[in-house]
Formats: sequence, structure tokens, C-alpha cells
Amino acid sequence: MTVFSLIIINKAGGLIYQREFQPGLRKLSTNDYLVLAGTFHGVHAITRTITPKLPYLATTPASNTSTTTSSTPTSATALASPSGTTTPIPNTTSTAATYMYPIPGVAATGLDSLETDKFRLTCFQTLTGTKFLLFTDPHMANVEPVMRKIYEFYADFVMKNPFYQLEMPVRCEAFDRNLNGWLRGRT
Amino acid sequence: MVVYSFYIFDRHAECIYKRRWLPRPASIPGSKSSRPTSEASAQATSAPALLGQSARTTDDDAKLIFGTVFSLRNMVRKLGGEDDNFVTYKTSQYKLHYYETPTNIKFVMLTDIKSPSMRIALQQIYINLYVEYVVKNPLSPVEHPGGVGVNNELFEESLEQFVTRVLS
Repeated sequence: MTVFSLIIINKAGGLIYQREFQPGLRKLSTNDYLVLAGTFHGVHAITRTITPKLPYLATTPASNTSTTTSSTPTSATALASPSGTTTPIPNTTSTAATYMYPIPGVAATGLDSLETDKFRLTCFQTLTGTKFLLFTDPHMANVEPVMRKIYEFYADFVMKNPFYQLEMPVRCEAFDRNLNGWLRGRT
Repeated sequence: MVVYSFYIFDRHAECIYKRRWLPRPASIPGSKSSRPTSEASAQATSAPALLGQSARTTDDDAKLIFGTVFSLRNMVRKLGGEDDNFVTYKTSQYKLHYYETPTNIKFVMLTDIKSPSMRIALQQIYINLYVEYVVKNPLSPVEHPGGVGVNNELFEESLEQFVTRVLS
């Protein structure tokens, strides 16, 4: 298993952490990484808005009353979006909501994972809107536990660091050390 | 697996073809004509009230999709090198598949999240349908401003068949 690099983007789209663990991806300048973080932040928001919207009648039988059917998508969209941007909420004043998402009951998220010929990018967004981008080998299985552990390290060594200022670049030696050690131990 | 929509963009970043499929056309009486129609005419007859596109039209959707795909492609090339290409991305609700020909025509397909990689399928649409019925058509223009030449009957019909029979 190969983890190429990790990028952390704050809720405003600013780059706050970037580390390379194993060679494999091209190196960019600091400025390019900042641009990349900002671009990804924007694209992530757009990928959520282009979620296909299915007409209501398509999957729910017509015999259902409109009151029961209209309650599902509003509750689904209400718990959406940790990043604070608004999700389209169906017009509830009319008799029935006009559309639903392909998987009702699941909040629409932005890009979760992206695959290319050379790497796989997994994005994890915390409830507060911070995004963790993990670049791994495209064939690597079980990215989830790695991401979870990284989030744990972040919580332990960055968020609990009394000198860390929120939304600012992460410069915590303990975070670096533990992350490096743990990832090396796994390979 | 379910295919939600399909787009073709030419090298001038223009959307030259778009087509959407409703998941269960049979359950909506009268929403589907017997002959496959292009997006524009299908929209005019049945869709506006049904699809409930509040403020955004399908045109805007195509532009957003192009923007997304374009940014991601550039990002991937920067990180993975010039010969790297992005194949697919996934959200909690849908999956987007991407294929670009050497002549910079981009094929994009949105499917449900359980579908396997569609790279081969998009390549086949290009080779067996687009090249055969659009490029080799003597009446079709070289460029396709506004989708001229792509929305011919043969191409649309075989695309419809390909998606309904081969992919599902």
C-alpha cells in the first residue's frame, strides 16, 4: 500500500497542511498547492450541486399520499452540507416536492473519491468543513481506516495543541512525527 | 446500473450533445415518445414541470459539468504528469465517468454509484457510434456548433440502444 501525500484544506478553501510521504506524484511549488487547494474547494462544492435530480413520480408509486412523500427529501437535505453552503431545498409549500436525489435519505456530498491512471484521491470532509485529501495508489484497498487514523492524529495533536490557531497553517511537530511514524509502520 | 445523463463536449468547450434518462420511464405515462428524441425536444414536451429544475436549466448543468471536468483534468495532469488522465469520480449520490479522445472531444456520463468503470463503454460510444454515425456522415459539418450534425437519428437511436441494452 502506498500513500503518496496528504493535504488539509480549511473550511474557507485555504491550504493549511501539505506533506509528501512517498514519491510518485509530481512536486508542485507552494503557490501551485495553494491554487490546487482553492480549486478543489470550488470543484467540491460544484460536484454537489450537479447531483442528478430525479422527478418524484419516477420511483414512488402514485398511490402514496403527497404528505408522506414530501417529508423524506426535506429531512434528507436538512442534515446535508457540513461546509455551510446551502443545498437546494425542495419547495415544501406546494403539494409535493418536485425532485429527489438518487439515494433518498443520504445527504448529497461533494466529490468523495477520484480515480486516475496513476493515483486515487480520497476526500474526507469533517462536520466543520475541513477537508482531508489523501493521495494513494489506485489499487490500495481500505483507505477508510487510514483516513480515520489521520483524523484522529489531527484531533489529538493539532486541535489539542494550545498554541494552534484555528484555520491557520498546521505547524505541529508532534503531528508530523506521529503521522510519519504510523504510515511508515503500515507499509 | 442506472445511467442518468450523457454529455459530449467539443474542443472549444461547447456542449455538442446532451441526453438525460429518467430512471423509470415506464411509470410516467406519456413522458417518453416511441422515437428517441434529443434533449431539447424532450424537454419541451414533458420535462419542465416534471423535473422541477428550479433555477438551473440543463444548459447550466452542462456548463457546470464541463467546468468541473476541466478543472479536475488540469489538476490531475499537474499532479500525475501530462500523460495522466482522470477516469471517474464518485460522490455519495452519483458517479461521473470521463473519457477524452486524442482530438480533445470529451465524453461524460453520470451513473449511479454502484456501476463499474465505464471507460470502455465511453470508448465504445466514441468508436462505434460517434465515429461511425457523426464523423463518417458526409452531411455532417467538421465542427458541431450548437450540436449540429450530432443530433442525427442514427446516432441518437443507437446511443439509446447502447445505453438501454448493453449497459443495463
